[in-house]
Amino acid sequence: MVNNLPYEKLLQESLKSELRVINAHLPTKPKPLSDLLGEEYPHVVCKDGSTHLFRRKELKYLASLIDASEQKALLLPMLIEISSGQGEIAVVCTGEAEVKVIAKVLDMAVSLRQRKITIYKPQLAVIRKLLRTTTQYIFPPRP
Amino acid sequence: MPQQIIKVTRPTKIELIRLRRRLVLATRIQKIVKDRVSILILEFLQIARQTVEAKRKLLEEFSGTYRALSITAGYHGYIALEKEMVATERDLGIAAGLRNVGGVRIPAFELKEAEREPGGYSLSDTSSWLDRATELSTECLETIVELAELQRSLELLGREINRTKRILNALEYLIIPALSTTIKYLYMKFEERDREEKSRLKRVKVLLEQK
Repeated sequence: MVNNLPYEKLLQESLKSELRVINAHLPTKPKPLSDLLGEEYPHVVCKDGSTHLFRRKELKYLASLIDASEQKALLLPMLIEISSGQGEIAVVCTGEAEVKVIAKVLDMAVSLRQRKITIYKPQLAVIRKLLRTTTQYIFPPRP
Repeated sequence: MPQQIIKVTRPTKIELIRLRRRLVLATRIQKIVKDRVSILILEFLQIARQTVEAKRKLLEEFSGTYRALSITAGYHGYIALEKEMVATERDLGIAAGLRNVGGVRIPAFELKEAEREPGGYSLSDTSSWLDRATELSTECLETIVELAELQRSLELLGREINRTKRILNALEYLIIPALSTTIKYLYMKFEERDREEKSRLKRVKVLLEQK
């Protein structure tokens, strides 16, 4: 009846690497939209040392949604937090600019709660379709 | 499928605590991996839809471009058109980078701004038909670059979904049930040991009373 599961160790290793890669793409320092618009190749450096390239078309679209002062306040990429086991998804907001952008993209009023905007999967699809490179997922480790 | 039991060196309380910790960790990882799979599938479906759309758009643009080019060739003549075309030849500039979707690095291609600007041919010697054909072919080029990115993304996401699903299945059907069964087995062992201890004490008590 006793089985020593020979591939259990292998699975443990792959799980470790799974957790390592899951949040490795987060930016070391997000950049404001106004700075990115001036760059030849708009990008941010990620925690794993790789670069995340922004689509210029998306940056221009974002710039058209907000005014110049808000462009300085809008830090990119915007983070989308996935809460485990729940259908809810939250957009992490550092200021009012994000709220304005999300409200305009979704074409509806959104409320900010604990510096987060709660959205659902159909709305996530809309946001990701329009802002494919300017948003990133974050998987917070929860107890 | 019979539930498997993980081999434990000794059925002790320490081992039970260790196994319970592992079960909690495995359940947490399972939740994260499950979320990741659902996000990857969402992205995959979205990119699949965009790929279909981009392919349809490309076909339409190609047919429009060929039509415009035929009209231009008819208007200017092949020799004159070829002479103008030679002047417009240039290298294609694409900005390439990476973006990350739920831990998957997918390519990002973008046609450089300078490549979008048509020109190189004489505007005074040519008609607006050539301008139109050039404009349409630039649009084609943009869609080709977009399609290349989408198709590669689709391929990479598909591969990652398969890999992550295998891990999720291993957790769901192998590791977590095995840990749960082992914990249950250890509890049974402890209960059995308790019962043995109780009957032994009873026996000792009887023996002492007989003396």
